[in-house]
Amino acid sequence: MIKYIKTILTLSMVTAVIISCQKDNVVDEDGLLITFRKECFVSNFELLGSDFITVRAIPPVIDTTAQTIDVTVLFGTDLKNVYPQFTLATDCKLDPKITGRTDLSDLANPKKYTVVSGDRKVRKEYTLKIKFQ
Amino acid sequence: MRYIKKNMAVLVVMATMFVSCQKDEYTLPEAVKELTNDCIKRTIGPNIVSLPIEFAYAMAIPKSKGKLVSAQVEASIAGATGTYLEHRSFYTNTGGVDVPVTVGTPSSNDGKSTKVAFTVDTTAATLRYYYVIPEEARGQSVTFTFSATSSNGQTVSYKMGPYTIAKMGIKKNIAVSNGNLAYISIENMTAYTAAEAAANAGKVDLVYLYRATPASFTHALVSPGADASLLPGVTLPSGVNRSTKLRKVFNLQDRNLANLQFGIYVDDKDLQEVDLTDAPNYALGLRAEAGTWVETADKKYKAYIFVNAVNANGSAVISMLRYAL
Repeated sequence: MIKYIKTILTLSMVTAVIISCQKDNVVDEDGLLITFRKECFVSNFELLGSDFITVRAIPPVIDTTAQTIDVTVLFGTDLKNVYPQFTLATDCKLDPKITGRTDLSDLANPKKYTVVSGDRKVRKEYTLKIKFQ
Repeated sequence: MRYIKKNMAVLVVMATMFVSCQKDEYTLPEAVKELTNDCIKRTIGPNIVSLPIEFAYAMAIPKSKGKLVSAQVEASIAGATGTYLEHRSFYTNTGGVDVPVTVGTPSSNDGKSTKVAFTVDTTAATLRYYYVIPEEARGQSVTFTFSATSSNGQTVSYKMGPYTIAKMGIKKNIAVSNGNLAYISIENMTAYTAAEAAANAGKVDLVYLYRATPASFTHALVSPGADASLLPGVTLPSGVNRSTKLRKVFNLQDRNLANLQFGIYVDDKDLQEVDLTDAPNYALGLRAEAGTWVETADKKYKAYIFVNAVNANGSAVISMLRYAL
């Protein structure tokens, strides 16, 4: 009996050691740090033209409840070649990523961007609504 | 015996270390004994037809050997009008100003050669050479052979190049104005009035216009083929209807276009590689030092237009680099 107990104890200790030595999954698929933050929102938005100068006519209206971003752009803005810039809550990331010049010319079908929280568990989809001045 | 061998090895290693650590003795450089020369190219950036390439050619001979008699440059392609070799040698004074000293007769061009004969008794001089790039050199390579002769009959020469001459052309300071010199031709690199535009309808690529409202419009370059809302109040001359592609850029102040300010150059490669496939056919809200890439409707030319200056009365000064595709 004592022999069995000893064996079980030994096995339990080994298991405990193995589990405690396992690394926590601290980075996501993009190599970004996964934190404990649950905040998930857009704090600011900018839209630049092909010359990297703003094409916004007025400051953007960001509704974190309705999850919308309303942007009014200057007359004549070429929306096929713009650079959107999102400012997010700490540790958040954006999906899909913005990799360069973006086509936002389809005003009838506004583009949607998802903000993912620092702990990668909260996802909020924002609709980017653009209109001309 | 073994003991001796072991110690010998240690001694050899130590001797090597000492020798390798010894400082080389400084020796005074030997003075030049013959006629010698040297040359540098002073201009940087792309070599564009009609603009000069500047060199500084230096030559010297020991006083005991004689004096300088002549200096000559031979280009592989004859320079355009305005090519010359300075007949003055420059030194920089304490104020940093280059002061000229006349050392010869003004240069004369004979085909590909440019020559200066020294008229003063001098043993050293640095002469500037300005080679104005001719049309024949467009897209070609040019080489230069600088040479000098001295009174003792000696001759030295120095080869420079080859330098590739850009395919693109340049036109600076084109005045445009709202409703007057408003029709721009990339092919001819000029601005037309409405009457002239009607006579050159197939070559008009852009319309310059100024509108105070909306506030984002101001100075604009719009294709004749653009939407009518982008050409408010404009009645296009008959036949002027091309749709040219444009992409606005900022902070790209080409040194040649910006009248030798800034240190950026647009080269052939930039014009070859810029992709305007999805670019619009207008550029609104242009301001001084802004620019725009252009591609003509027939895809014969790409260009970079730089805005030198704008005036709120509805006029502007533009400059352009144009590359034939």
